Amino acid sequence: MSSDGGFWLLALGPVGATGLYWALHRYYRNTDKSHAFEHETTVEAKPVTGSEKKIGEVTGTRATRIDGDNVSAYRQRVERVRDDGSGDGPPS
Amino acid sequence: MSNTTGPTPPPLPPGIGPGSPQDVPPAPGRFPLDPATLPGPIRDEILAPDPVAIDTAAAELKDGQNHCPKCGATDIRQRPGTDVLICLYCRNEWHGEGVEEAFGFGEGIDQLQGTVISSGAKDIAADAASLMTFKCTGCGAEVTVNTQTSMTARCHWCRHVFGVNEQVANGAVPDAVLPFRIRKEDAVARIRQFVDKRRLFALKEFKDQFTPENVVGVYLPYMIVDGKVSADIAGQGEIKTREYTKGTGDKKKTYYDADIYQVDRRVDFTVDDLPLESSSERGKLDTSVNTNNIINTILPFDTKNAVKWNASYLAGFNSEKRDSGVEQLRPRLEDQLLSIARAQVQKSVSRFDRGVRWEQENLDVHGTRWVAMYLPVWLYSYQQPGPKGLIHYIAVNGRTGETMGSVPVQQWKLLLAALTAGTFIEVIVLFIIGSQ
Repeated sequence: MSSDGGFWLLALGPVGATGLYWALHRYYRNTDKSHAFEHETTVEAKPVTGSEKKIGEVTGTRATRIDGDNVSAYRQRVERVRDDGSGDGPPS
Repeated sequence: MSNTTGPTPPPLPPGIGPGSPQDVPPAPGRFPLDPATLPGPIRDEILAPDPVAIDTAAAELKDGQNHCPKCGATDIRQRPGTDVLICLYCRNEWHGEGVEEAFGFGEGIDQLQGTVISSGAKDIAADAASLMTFKCTGCGAEVTVNTQTSMTARCHWCRHVFGVNEQVANGAVPDAVLPFRIRKEDAVARIRQFVDKRRLFALKEFKDQFTPENVVGVYLPYMIVDGKVSADIAGQGEIKTREYTKGTGDKKKTYYDADIYQVDRRVDFTVDDLPLESSSERGKLDTSVNTNNIINTILPFDTKNAVKWNASYLAGFNSEKRDSGVEQLRPRLEDQLLSIARAQVQKSVSRFDRGVRWEQENLDVHGTRWVAMYLPVWLYSYQQPGPKGLIHYIAVNGRTGETMGSVPVQQWKLLLAALTAGTFIEVIVLFIIGSQ
């Protein structure tokens, strides 16, 4: 076994302890809970429209996901583009 | 300022200059100049009517007394576990009028334009008092109701029951009320069941003092919002084109190639009955200082079954006064609408298997309709001893029975358990490493 593999295994103890602590803490205190309004509200949506355009390529990356992936972090707000009355939508 | 060279400019009169977001914003609808002095088109815009308010004040309840439609007695209660009102004098039973049918709140969401505010959701007048005094028509005595915590009182002389039915501008009277359906015994059983699953690491004092029979039925104030909106979201997405490994043995590493796309999405949608806390204190969800998120979690309610305001439903229950108006709640609504929009478009970007990074979003609110409502919550609370003194709630939805709570933990027990588990894992790891 290489020294890399050994160190990785040694981290299991602290990781396990921390994981258990926070899992139990959340179970008791429920600090991670709130109203899931995204799914619990009656929403009637028209079909989603939109466009997509290839703008580049990435080669030889080791990351498994795009940097800053927030596709399921609905509540994480990004830059808000406001209509100023001139009718322009968000810049593409 | 000592180092200015020229004379300092005179202070600008209020309302002139660019203003600053750090300043107190003017009240909605207020204009700093006399509209009569302005050119026609501008004046017309300013003097155009404000958002329509639907009048939900019940004329027949103005005197503060709810009379039985059969015998005229005022001793009226809600029959527990139902939406039915019962006269304690003649046992006559009747059902309150549903707000959905009475005011058409559930209809025409896709036609909404502008901001429609029902009369119970109007702005709160700053000078409106919480204490209201009624003159008893039975005996002439004066009876006071503190609308901060209660909406009914009994005349101490002739036992007439009074309820606050008039829509006073202090925000205490909503448009509608959703009566309790879960009985107290049910709520107690649910709370007990909830805590029984969380005893091992619970604070000792909490367990010793645990008396779920002390649960209190509270009507909490909410704004129920319908809306018609469009949202545009833009960002970048990646689709994997190739996956390959380089190196051998322990040095073997996986690499990816991907195409980058500019992604734009637009969704038009309507939301029906989105509940927002209209008590500013309850609306603050900060788990480091409160456990309000517990009460937030038991949302939503079957608000379609709400009945027109009648204080008789509140007899025997506490109530909390609303202190936020439409304008204070609008940022939270927009935030939630954007979150809903993001959830709606998620399926449409599933082909981007390396995910999407949304960078810009735009919300266009075409129309909203606001209704103030009291929603029923069974609330058990426990104040943790100590300097921070966090109040832990266990809440039961008074309609659906959904239960959520915060049980204080005994920190040393939890730490000990975590350390024990960590040590156990570490011993196994050391054993494996040592044996190789």
